[in-house]
Amino acid sequence: MPLLSVQQINVFYGEVQALWGISFDVEKGEICTLIGSNGAGKTTSIKTVSGLLRPRAGSITFEGERIDTLPAHRVVERGIAQVPEGRRLWPEMSVEENLELGAYTKEARAKRKQTLARVYELFPRLAERRRQAAGTMSGGEQQMCAIGRGLMSLPKLLMLDEPSLGLAPKLVAEVFGIVREINQTGVTVLLVEQNVRHTLELATRAYVLETGRVALSGSGQELLNDPQVQSAYLGH
Amino acid sequence: MTVKERERQSTAAAATRRAGPGREALFAVGGAVLAAAILAIFGLTLPANSYLLFSGFLLFLFTTQSLAWNLVGGYGGQTSFGHATFYGIGAYTTALLQENAGLHPVLALLAGALGAAVFSVIWGYPLFRLRGFYFAIATIGIAEATRLVALSPLRELTGGASGFRMSTAGAGGRTSQYMTALALVLATFLTSYWVRNSKLGLGLFALNMDPEAAETLGVDTTRLKAISLALSAFIVGLTGGIYARAFLYINPNDVFAFSVSIAMVLMSVIGGVGTLIGPILGAVIYVVIQDQLGAAQITFRGQTFQFRDVQLGLYGLLLALIILFEPAGLVGLFQRVAGRFRRRGGTQAVAEQQALLRNETGDE
Repeated sequence: MPLLSVQQINVFYGEVQALWGISFDVEKGEICTLIGSNGAGKTTSIKTVSGLLRPRAGSITFEGERIDTLPAHRVVERGIAQVPEGRRLWPEMSVEENLELGAYTKEARAKRKQTLARVYELFPRLAERRRQAAGTMSGGEQQMCAIGRGLMSLPKLLMLDEPSLGLAPKLVAEVFGIVREINQTGVTVLLVEQNVRHTLELATRAYVLETGRVALSGSGQELLNDPQVQSAYLGH
Repeated sequence: MTVKERERQSTAAAATRRAGPGREALFAVGGAVLAAAILAIFGLTLPANSYLLFSGFLLFLFTTQSLAWNLVGGYGGQTSFGHATFYGIGAYTTALLQENAGLHPVLALLAGALGAAVFSVIWGYPLFRLRGFYFAIATIGIAEATRLVALSPLRELTGGASGFRMSTAGAGGRTSQYMTALALVLATFLTSYWVRNSKLGLGLFALNMDPEAAETLGVDTTRLKAISLALSAFIVGLTGGIYARAFLYINPNDVFAFSVSIAMVLMSVIGGVGTLIGPILGAVIYVVIQDQLGAAQITFRGQTFQFRDVQLGLYGLLLALIILFEPAGLVGLFQRVAGRFRRRGGTQAVAEQQALLRNETGDE
C-alpha cells in the first residue's frame, strides 16, 4: 500500500477546472516528484493533498485513510507537512518563532525541543540566526528556514513546492542535497519542481503533469532518458 | 487595509513580541503591578465624591475594553465593530440576574461575562468564515441587530427605550468601584501579556499575517479566533456588568450603541493595534478627549456644532489618518522616533551585513 495515494481527483478554482482526473502514488521512503511547466497543476495538486483545496471528485488516502475531507490543520496532524512555494515565512518573527510555529500540533509541540535541536544540526546557519527576524535573511537561508519549519511537525511525508525557486545555482544544489539528506533520515518526500534535470536525478519516481493531467510517469532515470521529456524539458 | 499597511502594523506587534521572556517579563509584570499599587494608594487618598475617582473608574473600564478588544482585533487581526454586544449583554445579564433573580452581585457579574462569551461564540463561528472587510461589516450588522432586538422585541425584559433601573442596594461606593475596575484592568493587562507569549498568541499572530500558511502548519485558525473572541467578550462583558452596577441605570441605546464598539477600535488603533502597551495609551487619550471635549461646541457662520454630534465623523477621520500614515499607532510612532536616534550607529553594521550576504549568496 502506498503511503499517499491520490486517485482521479478533479479540482476547480471556482468554475475553472485545474486538475482533470489526476492520480499518483507516493511510496513510503521514496522521493517522488511532480514536474511540469507553469500552470500544469503541480501546486494545485500539493494544495489539495494538504487540505487547502477540496477535490470535487476522486479520493486522497494517506496510510490507508481518506484525508480529502479533512481541514488543513488536521492533515498536518496525520503527518503531512507542506513547505509552500515562496516560503511563506513570517518575516517579522524570529527564525526560532517561525520554527516553533512548525511544531504547532500537540504531538509535535511536546517534542519540539528535540526536533529543534535536530533542525539546527541540519541547518547550522539557522542556529546562528535564531533570534534574527526571518525576513532579514538571504533567500537561501529563508528557504532553509521554511524547510526546517516543515520538519518541525515531525512529518512522515514532506511536500516541497519549488524549493529552488529564485535561488542562485550553487544554492540550488545545496537545497537538493538537503532534500536527499532529509529523505535518508526516513522522511518520504514529495517534490514539486520546475528544475527538471536536478529533480529527476534525485527522484525515485516521477510524474509529468501537463495542463492538469498526468502525461507521463516512471522512475527518475526512465524519464531522464525519455525522448519526449528530453525535448520538452531538458532542451535536447 | 492594504498588505503594506498590515505589514507595518504587524512589524510593531511582532517586534514587541520578539523581545522574549526573562527581563521583559519582569519589566511588564512587575511594572504593571507596581503601577496598579500606586494607583490604588492614590485612589485611597481621594475623597469618595472626588471627580478624579470617578474619572479613574471610567478610564480603567475603557482601558480594560481596549486591551480586551486588542486580543482578537489586534493579535488576531479580526477587526470587530461588534463588541458593544458583549458590553450590553454583560450589563443586562448582570442587572437582570441581580435585580430580578436576586443573585449574588459577584455571581451575576460572572454570569454576565459568561453570557457575553457564549454569545460571541454563536456569532463568531459563522462570521469567521469571512475575511477582512467582510468580517468587519458583518460585525456591524450583528451589533445593530442585537441593539434593535434588545430595544423592541425584548422590551419587557430590557425596559426598551426607557431603559432599566436598578435599586441602589449593593451598588458599593465610588472607592470600591474604582478598586474593582483597577483590579480588572490589571488582570486584563496580565492576560494580554500572557496570551501574547503563549502558544495561542503565536498562532494568532501567525494567522493574522498569513492565515493559509498558518493553517498548513496545523493552526486551527477558526478555533483560535473563536477562543480569542470569547476571551475578549468575557472581559468586555465584565466591564458591562461593572458599569451597570455603578450607574444603576442601563438602556439598550447606550450599552448596545455603535459608539461603544467604535471606541474600542479607536483606542487600540490610536495606541497601536496588536501591541501590548498601545491599547492603554489609546484609552488614556480617548478618555481625555471625551472628558475635555464632551461638552464642547463651536459656532461657525452662525451655526452651532456640538462635539457629541460630530464626534463619529471626527473619529472616523482620525482612524483614516492613522491607518494611512502610522498604522502601528503611537507605539509605531515612538519606535520610529527611537529608531531615528539609534540608526546613526546602526547603519554601518547593517550595510556590512548586507555586503556579507551578497558575497555568500552570489547574485541575489
